[in-house]
Formats: sequence, structure tokens, C-alpha cells
Amino acid sequence: MKASGFPYVIPMLLLSVAFFATPLAVLIGFSFIGPDGLTLNNYGRFLGDAFNYRVLMNTAKLGLQTVASTTLLGIPIALLYWHSGKTARQVIIFLTLIPMLTSNVVRTFAWIVILGRQGPISETFVALGLAGQPFSLMSTELGLVLAMCQIDLPLIILPLIAILSRTPVQFTEAAQVSGAGPWRIFVTVLLPMMLPGLLAGWILVFASTSSSFVTQAVIGGARNVYVPQLIYREVGTLFDWSMASAIAVVLLLSTGILLVAMTMISRHRRLVGHA
Amino acid sequence: MTNFNMTRRNFGLLAAGAAAAATMPFSARAAGGSVVAATFPGNWEDGYRTVLTPLVKQAGFDLTVAPALAQDQLAKVMASPGNPPYDTLLMSPGQMATAIDNDLIQKIDPSKLKNWSMLDPAFQGEYGPTVTIEVNGIAYNPDLVPAPKGYRDLFENPAYKGKVSWTGFGSNTGVMAYSQIAKIFGTSATDMDAVFKLFKDNPEQIKGVVASTNHQMTLFQQGEIAVFMCSTGNVARLKSMGLKAEFVQPETGSPAAPVNIHLTKGSKNVEAAYAYMDAAISKAAQDQLKMPPREMFPTNMQVALTPGIEAFVKRDQLASMIYPDWASINKNRAEWIRKFDALVAG
Repeated sequence: MKASGFPYVIPMLLLSVAFFATPLAVLIGFSFIGPDGLTLNNYGRFLGDAFNYRVLMNTAKLGLQTVASTTLLGIPIALLYWHSGKTARQVIIFLTLIPMLTSNVVRTFAWIVILGRQGPISETFVALGLAGQPFSLMSTELGLVLAMCQIDLPLIILPLIAILSRTPVQFTEAAQVSGAGPWRIFVTVLLPMMLPGLLAGWILVFASTSSSFVTQAVIGGARNVYVPQLIYREVGTLFDWSMASAIAVVLLLSTGILLVAMTMISRHRRLVGHA
Repeated sequence: MTNFNMTRRNFGLLAAGAAAAATMPFSARAAGGSVVAATFPGNWEDGYRTVLTPLVKQAGFDLTVAPALAQDQLAKVMASPGNPPYDTLLMSPGQMATAIDNDLIQKIDPSKLKNWSMLDPAFQGEYGPTVTIEVNGIAYNPDLVPAPKGYRDLFENPAYKGKVSWTGFGSNTGVMAYSQIAKIFGTSATDMDAVFKLFKDNPEQIKGVVASTNHQMTLFQQGEIAVFMCSTGNVARLKSMGLKAEFVQPETGSPAAPVNIHLTKGSKNVEAAYAYMDAAISKAAQDQLKMPPREMFPTNMQVALTPGIEAFVKRDQLASMIYPDWASINKNRAEWIRKFDALVAG
């Protein structure tokens, strides 16, 4: 009789219960505690305030904008890798991984220089006559999306590369021989093939962006407020742990709903080519 | 080639050995014990680590300097009542009041501090010694803007349009400035509706709101902003980096905040904590901490002021500084923070 594999899972299961499930349960429990005992007041206060609702929407929007921009940049880079020789592939992998070896905080502060009035973006626009005077992209949503896109780009490129490196390039040649044009090849052959990698990348990028406290606070400034900053404010400034827990639970649920939606879209029969 | 085989038994022994090693005391540790002291990041952390570590060591203890803003210190101590992550806290009266209300700090025994008598009586707090006074005002870049006269100037003089940066109400420096602005444009230091209206009527000022003074210093360095609300220490730091930065005392007076060391309730290293406090108020330490780039105002009466500090403030001016009513501020702060954040985010 074949032995059950369950005992091998026990250590991982115990670790998950101790360090994931239990803290999560404590967090959820805290969110229902008020000065007079159990209450739904924390959720009521958060969701009843139009400002908080807008912050929640802005956080989801930031995540989706970063997912879209990293997808648009990541797919061409992954396809370039797929069509490249051994040396070029090593260079692409190296260039993709190098930023990940630098701290997120350091990269964020480097973006202050890039997005500033005297930074390369502003100076290039002025030099080309596209802007009359130097401008700053600091404390703007565009600046934040640009920074998040660079910071999170490896998270979408790496899963795509993992998928493509297992796929022979001859797939596209076979489609070409069958008379398919470049756009049709991309939509009917490449995209369905890359979808599992894209889905993994979307989840990683969305989760990373919507919880990236440092970059949001430093690049977005005080004018662009996102949910992690609200949580930090409740814990670190107002010491309202129950409210912070309620906000964290709302963020968790809303992020979860969006991720489930993304998964469902990526598994759509027509998209994956089984129509 | 040698094969490396790791059996479950070997792995278990290795893990047990590693765990046992982690519990062993390091021989280099001082015999008396160790104190974990929270300080503000930046100048404070650097100064205290450099200057106080050897002095505490001389007393037979080790010092670990842990940088954290005052609000963060409070949050962390509140998160683990009875088992504080710090033996001492460094904070201003605003946070001190919250710490007392939440039973996080304890009264000290001055007889354990050899340097206690060298402090001016105003700096001998029952919850711990005052180690410096932070004098606040306005920092500006003389290459980019003229010297501001005061807070009113920043809103009414077009020379400052789009060049001023502010922080939220979570920052002590910010809240002290807003209390003054409330007095100028409103009816009292707590009339923050006047401040909110002022910002609403001057949307270009809202664009300059950022998270913290440290963030403002980075932006000042990059030439992104030309004016921000600061302490003399912030300007001393910027000057030490070769930047064009000047300090102005507002015409309505400079808000000031004493900075105190407090002993946390539940600290397990009380003797080491006293050694650290004593070192912080000693002449030897304050003689070094008063020098650039820190330029901390010395509270030890035997320490002479440097010309650099005297340019900011003299000892006889301390009484005329503006000391905010932290009880009123703390009572309203949460509401102000929420209102201002919503206003800034539009």
C-alpha cells in the first residue's frame, strides 16, 4: 500500500497556522473590537466616510494601472528574450534581476531625482521644446505609476520568461506557415500561451503595488493617499488598532476580489484558446 | 569528490546546536548589561550612537541605539505592554502626555543620575531629564527665496508661491506651526478650521504637503522645495552637507519643544537605562553634541553655547519661546489629522 504524504505536510501546516492563520485571525478579531466590546462600528466608520471610500478606489486603480503598464512593457521584453540567443538572454535576465538586488527604499529615493524638476524627464521635455519650463512629477499619480512600474516590472517579466523558455519558437513559425499574420499570431498563439505567466505576474504586481507603503508615501506625497498609508496613520499616529485592523481586512477583501476577477478573466475559455 | 550526506539526525543536531549557540552570551558584551534606547532617526541617531556609546560603555553597560520617530516609539511600546522593545524613549511633551496616560513610562529616581544637579531645574522632569530644547522656525534656501518674516508671509507674499512644503498634523513640527498659524488667521491656537480654510483658499500650498520633515529635507536637497517648517537641528544638518539653508525665527515667536528621555515601564535593564540617561546629560556628551552638524542646545548648565547655537537661540531667550499646550493638541489631534488628510487628498 502506498504511504500517505500527509506527515510530510505537517511542519508546513503548523508553520502556516502559527504564522499566517493565527495572526490573520487576531487581525480580524481586533477589527470587531470597540471601546464597549464587540462592534461593527470600525467598518461602519471606514466605509461610511466618502474620503476612505475614495482612498480604497484609488488603491485599486493604482494597482490596475501598474498591472497594465508592466504588462505592456513586460510582454515585449519577454518576447525579445524568447527570440534571443544564449548571450542576449543572459543579459536580459541580468538586467531584469539587477534592480531586484537593490532595496526598494533605495530605488524609491532614486526616483525622487528622476521625477524632480531638475531630473532627466523634466530636462528632456524642456530640451525638446515639449515643456515651456521645468516641471516635477513628484506627488503626482503619473510619477507614482512610473516608479511602481519600474520597481515591479521584474515581477511580470520573470513568470513570462519561465513560461516562454519552455516553449519552442517554432510555434510561431508554424502559425506563419499556416498563413496567420503577426497580430493573429500574438492573439491566438502567444497570448493564450503566456496567460498562466501573465496571471502570476498580475497577482504579484497588484499585491506589491497596492501594499507598497514606502513608494506610495515618498513618491505619491500626502496628496495621493492609499490604503497602506491609512493603516499606518491609524497604528502609528492615532493608535487606533481596531480601526487599522478593519481597514486591513477591507483591503484584504477588496484585493482578494480583484485577484479572483483577474484569475477568472485569464481562465476564460475564449481567451485561453479553447473556444 | 566527497559526498555530502545530511541525515535527519544530523540536521536535527545542527538545528539544536544553532539554537543553543544563539542563547549563549557574547563574551564582548559588557558585564553590566545592555540598554536599548529609542532616538529619532538622522542627526539624533548618529550623534547618540557616536557620542554616548563610549560613555555608557565606561559605566559598564552596552548601548543599542534604535532609531524611531516619537509616534512610532509610542506605537511599538503600546503594541507590547509589559515587554517594551525599548528601555528608554526619546520624546517631546506631546508624546510624553500620551505615554503617561497609557501607563507606558515611569517616574525616575534622580539620585541615580550623577549629573542631575547640572541641569537647570526646568529640565529636571519627574519622568526623566530634558536633554535638549528643539527650537522651531522656518528653513529657507536664500538662493531661491527671500527670508520670510513669519507664517503670514508664506501665504501672502507671492515670492513663496509653490515653493513651501508642509507636513500633516502627525508631525510635531507641523502641529506647532499650525498652532501659530491658527492664532494668526483664527481666534486661538486650537482654531484649526481657520487653518483648513487658509489651505483651501491657497491650493498651491496643499501641493507642498508631504509625509515628514525627513522627506522635506530630501526634497530641499534636490531643490524641489525652498521653504519648510523645521527645527534648528534640521538646518544645522542641511548646512553641514554644504547646502544653502537658513533658519528664521517667525515674527510671532518660535515654537519650542523640550526633548526628554523616559524610562519605559517594564524595562528589564533599569541600571543600564540610568547610565544612558546620565551620559546624555553629562558635560562630556553635551560638549560634543552641541557641535556641528548636530548643534543640540545643551541643557547641562556647565556647557557653554557655541556661536552657531547662539545665532539660533540664547539661554535667556528660552523663557520667551512658545511652548504649545500639548493637552489641547492631543485632545484634538486625531480629528485634525483626519480632516487635514482629507483636505490635502482633495
